[in-house]
Amino acid sequence: MSESFLVIDDSKLLHQMYRLIFSQGDLAGSTIHYATNGREGYGLLAAHPDLTLVFLDLNMPEMNGLEVLARARAERLHSHVPIVLVTTESSEDDEARGLAVGAWDYLRKPFQPADIQRLVRRARELRRGRGAA
Amino acid sequence: MKAGENPFGDLLQDYIVESLPLAEQVGDAFVELERRWRAGDPGDQVLASVTGSLHTIKGNSAMMGLTPMRDVAHALEDLCGYLARAGASRGDEAAALLVTGGGLLVDLIGSASADTEPGAADQFMARVLGFLGVAPEASAAGPDRRQAERRTQPRAGDTEAASVVRVDFRRLDAMLEVLGEGIIQHSALAELYRRLLRRVGACEELGELDQTVLSLQKTLSRLESTLMETRLLPVSTVFGRFPRMVRDVAHAEGKRVRLEVTGGDTSLDKAVLDRLGEPLLHLLSNAVAHGLELPGDRVRAGKPAEGLLRLQAAAVSGRVAIRVSDDGRGLDQTAIRAKAEALGVDTRAADTAQLHQLVFVAGLSTADRVTTLAGRGMGLDVAANVIHALGGTIEVESRPGQGSAFTLSLPVTLAIVRSLIVEVDRERYAVPLSHVAETVRAEPETIRQINNQGVTQWRGDLIHVADAGAVLGTGKPCEAPRPFYVVMTAGARRRGLLVDRLIGHQDIVVKGLDPALGRPAVVSGTTILGDGRVACILDVVRILEGAAHGN
Repeated sequence: MSESFLVIDDSKLLHQMYRLIFSQGDLAGSTIHYATNGREGYGLLAAHPDLTLVFLDLNMPEMNGLEVLARARAERLHSHVPIVLVTTESSEDDEARGLAVGAWDYLRKPFQPADIQRLVRRARELRRGRGAA
Repeated sequence: MKAGENPFGDLLQDYIVESLPLAEQVGDAFVELERRWRAGDPGDQVLASVTGSLHTIKGNSAMMGLTPMRDVAHALEDLCGYLARAGASRGDEAAALLVTGGGLLVDLIGSASADTEPGAADQFMARVLGFLGVAPEASAAGPDRRQAERRTQPRAGDTEAASVVRVDFRRLDAMLEVLGEGIIQHSALAELYRRLLRRVGACEELGELDQTVLSLQKTLSRLESTLMETRLLPVSTVFGRFPRMVRDVAHAEGKRVRLEVTGGDTSLDKAVLDRLGEPLLHLLSNAVAHGLELPGDRVRAGKPAEGLLRLQAAAVSGRVAIRVSDDGRGLDQTAIRAKAEALGVDTRAADTAQLHQLVFVAGLSTADRVTTLAGRGMGLDVAANVIHALGGTIEVESRPGQGSAFTLSLPVTLAIVRSLIVEVDRERYAVPLSHVAETVRAEPETIRQINNQGVTQWRGDLIHVADAGAVLGTGKPCEAPRPFYVVMTAGARRRGLLVDRLIGHQDIVVKGLDPALGRPAVVSGTTILGDGRVACILDVVRILEGAAHGN
């Protein structure tokens, strides 16, 4: 079964980094949807209820990461889909607020491919656990 | 960590492509901010507009393991955060720090590699820390980073389709070369068809061959226009560096300048763009150094203390016009006249326009502060030569006390030029059609000799008509009067050129001249014609200039 992921980040460079990471190991062959701003990201999230994991950048134009997160959770949009908030040397306040609004975890730039792989493994376990339940 | 050890090291080029424009945008904003602060405007929106870009640069640099860039972006973010707060000291020191940092960021990213020296970045960070340390409140509260998480403006280009491929420009050059060969072969085929037609007369097969040759030509020209479009880049790729440069010259000269740039999305062939930066840089620094007055002088003359420098680009009837204008003192006619007289040029009969054209003459422009920025080397004559070599023209208008304007007209592409092919003493020459006003049958009685120069009536004006053999130095005596003349134009100049035969219009592929051969004064390049013969491309601008200077 092919897994799908959603990357919401305004940097095309970051998209390519994710593309590189998702082309390696057991992640190869998975489907990734990309959005370059929060609004687009929210739309893609709404359109794909079966995502394994969402990577959501904090700092973006047209709805920042916290706004996307807050709206998705307030509208109970696919609340089973885990969303990782991606931050850059941001204050712990932001990360704390992210978790408070419903982020599943946070990831700090610069991150390594191994960080993504670890998060994906945990998300799969979460999925399996839910499937079994 | 070095980018070489970084898992994303292969994306270095992508990093530069994304981050450099952001850094340039940030650098421009800082220059603008400094200008506004001096004018007493807090410039809050300008400050807010850079936070998103700085944050993206910081994140990208961190991901790439490019520590110096990350640190500079971070330091600037902190500095902006502090400056955005009420009561921050928005003085010259802060402005200089921002402008320096913006420039440093552009330089670092532009030359990004795994081994970028951290020295300059470290020094800059130390300066920022020093500044924030001595500034009131800053040390107590610490830089506000949350400020940077708030992005206010969407960036242009975010919505562009992802179906973009990056191509090494040399490949486009290679494709052009192949297309050029295709065009030459098509001409050969068309020539062969005509010879066959003469020999065997019209028949059905030849009719079909004619159709095929015709559709081949259409296909080639479609291929050409597609390829040409691929080679186009917006002029903003060259304009990007100017705001900081103008600001630096203004500082050095004690001037206050606002640079207004419009038409940055106008497109030009990359080959043209690559050679345009230097002359434009020269015109801009020239305008700041000599065109615009010191703030005090401007106020006394009833103008705003801040000078206005405009850089405008626009597509005008198949060419691109670029205009550099200022609202300064205008060209100093007395100084130009004095310099010209000193060089032995008789200016007594020269009208204002002719006098202005003299600024492009070698020796005059480089002589002293009349037209060049001391220590910058390139004279206006060199700038004009570069423009001419690109097949462009440069004109100057000026009004005392009101300012000067230099207008460049450039071909959109360099590589393929539609030309008129003519024959002179059995050799073929190409005259770019953009410089051909008309071809005329030369009736001997319509051309009079005045002072050993042929003169004729053309569209109600008297124009000079010169023998092509003499202009091109074919070295052959003119046996019979040449039956045609081509009226060539460049800017306001016109001249007729007497030739033996008009062969026709043709798209020619410009080949450069062998640098070892030097550069003949009247030829800008060569091309290969359909029959395999090499033809020289006439440098119309230079020919007309030579005529204007009396040689």
